[in-house]
Amino acid sequence: MSLIHLEGLSKVYRVGDQEIQALSDINLRIEEGEFLSIIGSSGSGKSTLMHLLGCLDTPTSGRMEICGKNLAKATADELARVRNREIGFVFQSFNLLPKLDVISNIALPLIYAGVPHAQRLARAKQAAVDVGLGDRLANRPPQLSGGQCQRVAIARALVNNPRILFADEPTGNLDSTTGRIILEIFDSLHAAGKTVVLVTHDPSIAARSRRIIEIQDGSITREYAP
Amino acid sequence: MNLFIAISIGLREISAHKFRTALSMLGIVLGVSSLVATMALTGGIEEGSRKFMQQMGGLESVSVVNREPSNSDFDFANLSPGRTLLDAEAIRRSANFISHVSPEISFSTAVATDGGGNPERYSIRGIYPDHFVIGMHQLAAGRYLTPLDIERGTRCAVVGDSVARYLWPNTTPEKAIGNTILIDSRPFTVVGILSLYEMESHARARKSGKSFSRRWDPFRQKNETVLIPFTTMFYEFRSGAFPLDSLQTIKLETLTIRVGDLDFFRPALDQVRSILNITHRGVDDFDLETRQDWFDRMEGSVRATRLSGALISAISLLVGGIGIMNIMLASISERVREIGIRLAVGARQRDIFWQILIESILVSFLGSLLGIFASLGLIEILKAISPTENVPVLSADAILLAVGFALFAGLFSGLYPAAKASNIDPITALRYE
Repeated sequence: MSLIHLEGLSKVYRVGDQEIQALSDINLRIEEGEFLSIIGSSGSGKSTLMHLLGCLDTPTSGRMEICGKNLAKATADELARVRNREIGFVFQSFNLLPKLDVISNIALPLIYAGVPHAQRLARAKQAAVDVGLGDRLANRPPQLSGGQCQRVAIARALVNNPRILFADEPTGNLDSTTGRIILEIFDSLHAAGKTVVLVTHDPSIAARSRRIIEIQDGSITREYAP
Repeated sequence: MNLFIAISIGLREISAHKFRTALSMLGIVLGVSSLVATMALTGGIEEGSRKFMQQMGGLESVSVVNREPSNSDFDFANLSPGRTLLDAEAIRRSANFISHVSPEISFSTAVATDGGGNPERYSIRGIYPDHFVIGMHQLAAGRYLTPLDIERGTRCAVVGDSVARYLWPNTTPEKAIGNTILIDSRPFTVVGILSLYEMESHARARKSGKSFSRRWDPFRQKNETVLIPFTTMFYEFRSGAFPLDSLQTIKLETLTIRVGDLDFFRPALDQVRSILNITHRGVDDFDLETRQDWFDRMEGSVRATRLSGALISAISLLVGGIGIMNIMLASISERVREIGIRLAVGARQRDIFWQILIESILVSFLGSLLGIFASLGLIEILKAISPTENVPVLSADAILLAVGFALFAGLFSGLYPAAKASNIDPITALRYE
């Protein structure tokens, strides 16, 4: 059984009395352990697709199975649970909490998973060490460089040991050298068996993955291996 | 997410905006402090008057007081001799529900020792031995006045603690027994000295060496009393006054009775009323004033004060609640992105709801703590300027009540912001700049 299974998925936004078809009839299977890129220009619907896959939103119609659960009509609490346990997010703009130090930022998902305090600290610390930030635990995001911030975000995404990692333009705010280091982390995560879904507009970044899905005007137009 | 985490997040948020939070707490601070202060003040009044009442004879004591006869009785009013020893004698003989009867006449004059010293004006009271029971007197030294003193009209006196202390400042009550005092130049032997009567708070203040002279003392009158036999008072000081009275016809200043058993309180009053109807020849010129009446009156005014205090606090707490709601709304619109991030990593809507609600309750709780401190100051100010002379009593009840109301205000005003925050759409929130 596929990790992610989309069938006839569509999403319609209503802005005033205008209907905008953001996604129409998407069919997609993602297997456990894949390294996949979703590529498309801005406004193509790739972000909408990622929000649906990331359980931040529900589709207007169609089937959406993630980790064996049909989430097309899921409640907000069910989605929150999946986001917490099965999914890790890495954003273009890092989305760290500036008031919290590195370790608290990384431990954030564990709070909502109900992990006890001592275990939370230990796991967050381990995750920080894994991304090479073991010596920055007490710093706060404004004191870190962009690459360090993104590594904190990756550690946060991985701390709950999710099955899928989503990265939305993870190198968009970084210079090319730092970007390459971040992408290497994704490579190694994939090598370690994690399912990685990369959303980007840059074909050269997408080329690092094993499978590329191209989206245009809300539909999958092409699917190929680099 | 557990409560502890929510509280620590809330505290961090509050400490990040100290000034803003302090401003939003003002209403709560005012509400709590005024509630606690009002309760302390009225509690002090109540406490003081209860003590006072107890010391003045308790519920069993009933005063026979004069009353303007009604218009229909006006023509006969002169037939009534008024309150006299005859009344006391008749009640003592015929009213079996009454255990003690204390008639009193008094005379205000200077008292001095025979050894010189400045004379001081005291109210001298001519009494019967029952006075000691009804007035709940206790002796520090010596003896009470006895029926023999009444019969013989002896020149004996029992004086209050303040009198003895003033006249013989350097001696103990025991040594002062047998001393002579001059009442209107006539020598009397001091046979008894009463204990010092004081409020508990005064006793505490005195022991800790603090000054408490400014405080009004309900027992001052009791402590400054000079008691002599009724008959002596009449023959020595009152028999020469015009119109000429006999011992039996002199008008009493006060007539106090004590009901033997509170279970028969009403029948006892009925007995007294019917006896006095006869001695007063049917003229309805007296009234029975119970301590309960007096206490009820006092209670009524305390309740009114308390109500107005509660009203002020309720309004302040309402305003305080609105202030908190305002600040919470401002806070969540600043934290839309943070809420989005928390949602993205798996916070449920109810986690966000509780976080905001608990933060709002925390603000009101901190406000109520400040309010309690403020009330301590407020009480000091009220002590200094208030017309009431009772020491305010800060009670745990009042504090709990005020904090409870404040927490409720915080909870209530947090509901809407919390609901609003928990309904934020994570995608919109993550895009929010």
